[in-house]
Amino acid sequence: MRTRSTPSHRLLLRLLVAAQVLYVLGVAGAGYATTAYGQHIALATTPVDLHGLQYESFVRLHYTAAEAPLTAWRGPSPPQRRQAVYVLLTTAPDSLASVAGVYAQELKPAAGQAVLRGWVTDVYAHTLGLRYNLERYYVPGDSPLRLGKTGPPLRVQVSIAPWGQARIESVRLLRPTAAR
Amino acid sequence: MSRKFLETDSPAWVAEGLITEAQRERLLARYPPDAVQAVGLLPLLGSILVGLSALSVVAANWQSLPTPLRLGLLLGSLLAAYAGGEYFLRRGNRRVGHGLIGLGLVLFGASIILTSQLYQLVGYDISGLLAWVVVGVMLSYLYTSQSLVLLPILIGAAVQTYCTQALGIFSYTIMALVALGSGYRWWRRPDTLVASVLAVGLLWQAALWVALSHSKITWFFIPAMLVYAAGDWHRDRPAARALQGPPLVAAYLFALGLALFGETDQYAGLLRPPVLAYLGALAAVFALSVAGKRQQGRLASLPDWLLLLPGFYLPGGLPLAIATLVVLYAHAGSVLARAHRSGEAEQLTLGTVLFVIATMVAYFKLTWAFLDKSLFFLIGGVLLLSLSWYLRRRNAQRLAAGVATTVGASPAPPSTSENGSAH
Repeated sequence: MRTRSTPSHRLLLRLLVAAQVLYVLGVAGAGYATTAYGQHIALATTPVDLHGLQYESFVRLHYTAAEAPLTAWRGPSPPQRRQAVYVLLTTAPDSLASVAGVYAQELKPAAGQAVLRGWVTDVYAHTLGLRYNLERYYVPGDSPLRLGKTGPPLRVQVSIAPWGQARIESVRLLRPTAAR
Repeated sequence: MSRKFLETDSPAWVAEGLITEAQRERLLARYPPDAVQAVGLLPLLGSILVGLSALSVVAANWQSLPTPLRLGLLLGSLLAAYAGGEYFLRRGNRRVGHGLIGLGLVLFGASIILTSQLYQLVGYDISGLLAWVVVGVMLSYLYTSQSLVLLPILIGAAVQTYCTQALGIFSYTIMALVALGSGYRWWRRPDTLVASVLAVGLLWQAALWVALSHSKITWFFIPAMLVYAAGDWHRDRPAARALQGPPLVAAYLFALGLALFGETDQYAGLLRPPVLAYLGALAAVFALSVAGKRQQGRLASLPDWLLLLPGFYLPGGLPLAIATLVVLYAHAGSVLARAHRSGEAEQLTLGTVLFVIATMVAYFKLTWAFLDKSLFFLIGGVLLLSLSWYLRRRNAQRLAAGVATTVGASPAPPSTSENGSAH
C-alpha cells in the first residue's frame, strides 16, 4: 500500500494496465473466434418494434423460439422462473431452427442439432417463456432497419461457440419479398 | 474552521480579552476568503464540460463508427486515464490522480461491456465481469485512497446484481473477492465510511443470494452476522461499530417486522428454516462474535444479539408478537443502560428512539382493536409526550452527572446509585 511512485509500484501498475488492455482485446478476439469456430444457426423473430430506435441504439428481438410448449420440457423437476436451461434446436442448412426440447442439464447435440443456452422467463399453463440474452440487437448505423418505419419479421444468424459463448452475426429480413 | 465563523465570532473574543486585535487579524489572514477557492474550480468545471461534449459526440455516432476505431477509442481512453492518474500523482496532486485512476477502472468495465456489445456477444458465466472486480481490488491495494477502496465494493455489488438478475447465478467468487480482498484492505487501514459501505455491499450480495436460492429469508442473517462478528474482532472501535451498523439495522428491522406482522402464522411460516441447521449456524457465528468481544473487551455490546433470538419458531399469533415486543424492549433497555454507563450522548439518543419505537409498536399492536379511534390517538399522544419528557429528563441528569465525574469535582457522588434503575 505505497502511495509514492516507487519503480516497483509503477511496474505493478503498468502490468495491471497491460493486463486490462489485453483482456479487452481478448473479449474482441472471442467475438471473432465465435464466428470462426462456432456452429451457425438461424432463428426467426416476430415483427420487431422499431419505435425504440429513435431513443436507443438497439431493438428488442422476440424470437419465435422464445416460446416452447411445456411438453418440450425435459427435467427432473418442473421448470422454475429464472432457471438456466439448455435449449436443443433442430437445424438444417438454410432453414430456421426450431425448439426440439428444453433441458435442465447440459447435453451433447447430435448432427443437425444445436444447443443454445437460455433462461426461463415465465411458466404458463401450456407453454414456457424463454430468454437467450440475444434479445438486444444493436443496430449498426448503415442497417436498412434504421430506414424502415414498420417492423418486419427478421432472420437472425447466430453462432454458438463450443466454449459457451454466442453472438449475433447478422440480421436479415425473414422474407425479402415481403419487405417494402 | 470556516472564515465566516471566525469573522462573526472573533470580535467577541477580542472584547472578552481572549485574543488581541492583532492576533485576530493574523487569524483572519490565515484563512483566506472562499472566493479564491471557487475560482480554482473553474478549470475543473471547464474540462468536465469539454469532456462531456467529446463523450456525447462519440456516443451519438457510436453505432456508425468502424469496429477498430471503436475498440481504439475505448482502449485509448483507458490508457489515457491511467497515464494521467500516474502523472498527477507524481506531481503530488493526489485527488486528481486518484480520480483519474478510478476513472480508468470504470473505463475498463465499460470497455468489457461495450466490446461484448460491439460483437453482439453473450457469455453464460460471469468470467467477463469478474476481471473487473479483480482489477478493482488489486488497484485498491496499490494506492492509499478511500475512493479507490470504495469503488471495487460498489462494482462487486453491481456485477453480482447483474449476475443474479440476468444470468441467474450467484457468484461466490465475487462475494469472496469483496469480503476477503476489500475486507482485508479495510482491516489493515480501518475507516468508518469504508466500513459502512463494505457492510452494506456484503449485505446486498447476501440478500441477492437469498432471493436467488429461494431460501427462507432468515438465512440472510448468517452472512450478515458474520460481518457483525468480523467487527467484534477489529481493534479500531469506531470503524468496527461502523461495520456492525448495517447488520444491526437489518436485524432490528426484521425484529420490528416480526412484532408487527408475526401474528399471522403464514408470515412466520415463511421465516422458519430447518431448526438444527439454522440454529447451529447461528450459534457458530454467535460463538465467533462472543470470542471477539471477549478478546477486545467489549462484552457490554453482547445484548445486540437479543435481536437475533429466533422467536419465529414460536407458534404464530399474539404470543409471538408479544415475545418479540419484549425482546425489542429488552434491546432498547440494554442500549439505554450501556449509554448511561458510558455517558455517550449519541447512544442515549439512539436508545431513546428505540425505546419510543418499541412503545409505539406495542401500543398500536395491543390497543387498536379495543379502543375508540379518537381515544386511541389521544392516549397514544399523551403516552409519547410523557415518555419523551421522562427520558429527556433522565438523559439530562445523566449527562450532567457524567460531566461532573469527568471534570473530577469530588461532590455529587450519589448519582452512581441510579445505574441500577436504568431500563
